[in-house]
Amino acid sequence: MTSYRLPQGGLIDRSKPLSFAFDGKPMLGFEGDSLASALLANGCRLVGRSFKYHRPRGILTAGAAEPNALMTIGRGARTEPNIRATMQELHAGLEARSQNRWPSLAFDIGALNGLLSPFLGAGFYYKTFMWPAAFWEKVYEPFIRRAAGLGKATHEADPDSYDKRWAHCDLLVIGAGPAGLAAALTAARAGARIIVADEQAMAGGTLLSETATIGGEPAPAFARQCIAELQSLPNVTMLTRTTVFGWYDGNVFGAVERVQKHVAEPVSSVPVERLWRIIAKGAILASGAEERPLVFGGNDIPGVMMAGAMRSYLNRHAVAPGRSTAIFTTNDSGYALARNLEEKGIDVTAIIDPRENGGETYTGKARLLRNAMVTDAHGGKSLSAIDIRTGNGTERLKVDALAMSGGFSPIIHLACHRGGKPVWSDETSAFLPPAGLQGLEPAGAACGLIDLAACLADGAQRGADLAVSLGFAATPATFGAIAGDASATPAKVLWSTPGARGKAFVDYQNDVHSKDLGLAVKEGYGHVELAKRYTTSGMATDQGKLSNLNAIGLLAEARGVSPAEVGTTTFRPFYTPVSFGALSGASHGRHFQPVRRSPLHGWAERHGAVFVETGLWYRSAWFPRQGEQGWRESVDREVLNVRSNAGICDVSMLGKIEICGPDAAELLNRVYCNAFLKLPVGKARYGLMLREDGMIYDDGTTNRIAENRFFMTTTTAHAAGVLNHLEFCAQTLWPELDVRLASVTDQWAQMAIAGPKSRKILQTIIDEDIGNEAFPYLCARDVSLFGGALQGRLFRISFSGELAYELAVPAAFGDDVAEALMEAGRTDGLMPYGVEALSVLRIEKGHVTHNEINGTVVPTDLGFGRMASTAKPDFIGKAMLQREGLTAADRPRLVGVVPLDPGHSFRSGAHILAKHAAATLENDQGYVTSSAFSPHIGSTIGLALVKRGNERHGEEVTIWNGLRDEFTAARLCAPIFFDPANERLHG
Amino acid sequence: MADIRSLPALADRRPLTSPQVTLSALPEGTVLQVIAGPKTPDLTRLAGEAGLVARAIAPGQWFLVGNRPTAHQDMRRLLAMLEPDASGIDQSHGRVRMLMEGPMAAAVLSKGTAVDLDPTVFPPGTTAATLVGHVSAHLTRLDNEAFEITVLRGFAAALWDDLALMCAEYL
Repeated sequence: MTSYRLPQGGLIDRSKPLSFAFDGKPMLGFEGDSLASALLANGCRLVGRSFKYHRPRGILTAGAAEPNALMTIGRGARTEPNIRATMQELHAGLEARSQNRWPSLAFDIGALNGLLSPFLGAGFYYKTFMWPAAFWEKVYEPFIRRAAGLGKATHEADPDSYDKRWAHCDLLVIGAGPAGLAAALTAARAGARIIVADEQAMAGGTLLSETATIGGEPAPAFARQCIAELQSLPNVTMLTRTTVFGWYDGNVFGAVERVQKHVAEPVSSVPVERLWRIIAKGAILASGAEERPLVFGGNDIPGVMMAGAMRSYLNRHAVAPGRSTAIFTTNDSGYALARNLEEKGIDVTAIIDPRENGGETYTGKARLLRNAMVTDAHGGKSLSAIDIRTGNGTERLKVDALAMSGGFSPIIHLACHRGGKPVWSDETSAFLPPAGLQGLEPAGAACGLIDLAACLADGAQRGADLAVSLGFAATPATFGAIAGDASATPAKVLWSTPGARGKAFVDYQNDVHSKDLGLAVKEGYGHVELAKRYTTSGMATDQGKLSNLNAIGLLAEARGVSPAEVGTTTFRPFYTPVSFGALSGASHGRHFQPVRRSPLHGWAERHGAVFVETGLWYRSAWFPRQGEQGWRESVDREVLNVRSNAGICDVSMLGKIEICGPDAAELLNRVYCNAFLKLPVGKARYGLMLREDGMIYDDGTTNRIAENRFFMTTTTAHAAGVLNHLEFCAQTLWPELDVRLASVTDQWAQMAIAGPKSRKILQTIIDEDIGNEAFPYLCARDVSLFGGALQGRLFRISFSGELAYELAVPAAFGDDVAEALMEAGRTDGLMPYGVEALSVLRIEKGHVTHNEINGTVVPTDLGFGRMASTAKPDFIGKAMLQREGLTAADRPRLVGVVPLDPGHSFRSGAHILAKHAAATLENDQGYVTSSAFSPHIGSTIGLALVKRGNERHGEEVTIWNGLRDEFTAARLCAPIFFDPANERLHG
Repeated sequence: MADIRSLPALADRRPLTSPQVTLSALPEGTVLQVIAGPKTPDLTRLAGEAGLVARAIAPGQWFLVGNRPTAHQDMRRLLAMLEPDASGIDQSHGRVRMLMEGPMAAAVLSKGTAVDLDPTVFPPGTTAATLVGHVSAHLTRLDNEAFEITVLRGFAAALWDDLALMCAEYL
């Protein structure tokens, strides 16, 4: 393979050679090369196959818009498909593989598609896969999905780390080319906090490929000076390898930094990519302009390249495009390339310019053909000749490289991410950013400016304007005289070249050619959004960065309207593809979501707890013992032990709220439907909290610690919601109340000690008398423990229906207190029990949870009707409780349910039908809300919400599980299965 | 009777140290949440007498913090002194404090918080309630390169592990 590397020049470091491989073939490049420049330097032109027709494709651009040179990089778990060779920095050991070809890049069976191309035009899929309809799901869609896409993602787990970071600045400068650097220098010198983001490894933008001088300095040296000054300032953050991909509300910008995508072996502690969320008071969009391809036959043959890209490879990477080069240009930038090629001794065979007076200042040796166009290129896998049409006819020229330039389109994607629409400019033949953007100021080539002097001046002025608007005393930076720049004459508009015989591609990545767009218009899909979907022009990873304007121009020609009337498709984030790794950051594996640990977590773990996730909490579900066969056996043992001896259960995760202040009792009296004003100090009361619509919101016990201090418990699920609710009530509904609210959930380790022996066990560690008289049911007081070593709170409340207490101690002491209780209760059979046993115990007693308080029930439905005070003037939900629907006799009411045959079972969620009734929606009478196996009853028991359930105790019904098609004969009963007189509670 | 010891929430997390950033658990001493009523109390004298430092955590709310635990009786006395203008809620066990310091401390924290940590915007002595990653916390700048992070006890270990990951590239 021939080397196209020039012996000198460029910004590469020839003292640092880098070996790499493409499709297994070893090659050499230098530090400073991109993968694309290194491939070109090695004479490798054929780098990929097109998506649809599998046509040979070469490198077209030198930047982010590259549609052809998409490769798979890396190996094993670090395999990454669809990497643009133009954006991939070369590093030692880099392995790149071409895509979408089989068996090889040079000989690709898929290229047969090219022969079928007459049948594969726009709308092919829509027209072909219409019938038979049944084939769509089973045949066509799987087939199309298999055929879609280019590279293949690896199935191995990503071994690398990613992270996210926030940043703030006065001014974000997007793009460090001429305008961006001028703006950044201006504002930074004035003292503003600046972030400069540039997507290349080396800041400088087009200056790095430019041969003009600024103040006598070559452009790359000028860029280095500017960057050095910016880097020396403490108020400037320079981010290279960073693409700003989106502009969001609040002037937040999303950017992705490729921290370690240019190294062979990433350092494991450092992220490979970092996602920045940048909050900027103002931003300069100095993203430059994209050069437009020209639409002629065979414009995709390897060797055809954008003129600006060719210039970049030539000047920055010291790579010659070929041995004989032609330039097809509609503007003066092509002549700058011609000069550079000739300066480096590379033959420029011809310059083809469709303008009458193009190249007036050109003094080089190349043959200049005015009023001329390239109609076709030839060559298969590498360019060999071009056809030129002039006023004198058609001529074929042998060339091996062709540069093309159809003018420049400002890169304005970000400016349109928040709803702004691009504005067509006849003067520049381009869409310009919308005017009047708040917080984002386009500058330089992004505004349609072309020459270097104008871009520098514009950047400096806009940087100064923004800095001044933010209160900084800024004056635009000035720079020395510019020599050798291309003139700023606008391009001639040329959407297509008449007379092309080969396929003239508009969208390279999707193989959309000019005839496809014409067909779309003919078939009624001329609207730009419809044409995009019909032809796929502007889709896929590049989203039409190169192609969109030509597509719009062709649609405009076909429709006979101006491009302004056609308009553009909608620009949305992301500007370029962003990896899922960067988007998820560190939030994967055990960092996916935080774990909330109870202060008794370690205690439970030591006693063998099996944990269950409850929101972010890990609750102990049951405590298996050796020899037990399955969870049910453990749970049954725990349940029986609570009722015969005693059990200890971690209830630390129940919500706990302190309500203080002189109006604390009044607040509670208004948020609970039952009375709280006169709750005595030292007493607890069960409370029901309703929503405004009368439905029960939450329940729990609240005790009065002091006259103006209450301690409320909530359900685990609604802990945060209840506090928010109380804050809303206090701050918004009744701001006249002086109440102070604080969550103390995490302050206390709280354990339930339940069972007939609970008092005896607790008394061993509690200093005060907790006998039935001294500490009766619903008593709640501060207590002293361990001879005054510790203070805690003791509540005589019960969820199990047993003699029971809840003991709260400061969280850090919880572990030791629980162990002390275990020791104290060893001879009395104290065992830990988990939430499964807790659930069985409460179902046996008919105590409700959010299974029953499910947002559809009012107090009467659950048998709490008498709790809703009629004496209180008001409470939340009172007014709505009187609605007809909420007092209807046939409302679902809480009822117990047991199977007729104890050997049969049923599940929560199953529906209740009248005995032998058909399983229909009309016959539905309610549903089972909770169910469990009760070792005391010896069968499954359940709670259910059933129409008039409270009046139907004893009635036989059918329980229907529609998911499993199961029918269980059952009987409705009172929703309390154990100790109906509640004698044990008061024991 | 058993010797009852306290078990710090981060007892099994060893400090992370490098010239760039260090992360350590602060002693589980005193955190007293103070919520004012209509009148704002003078906390300076009270905090000073109790050997505590005030962190303004929300309008009309403060944490009074210190590295030493406050005995039960002393806490009761403090609570009584706050009344009636304010209420005190003992959060000494409910909140866990960590210290992150070093030249890269702000950079590490900016991975988790959207608060602008520039010293001119967020000077020493300032506290903000913010998410740090997924976890809600109070962030206080102690000096230019030192931050106190106060978090619910239940989330302390998870937040520590997230912060350790955020620190990793600077360790």
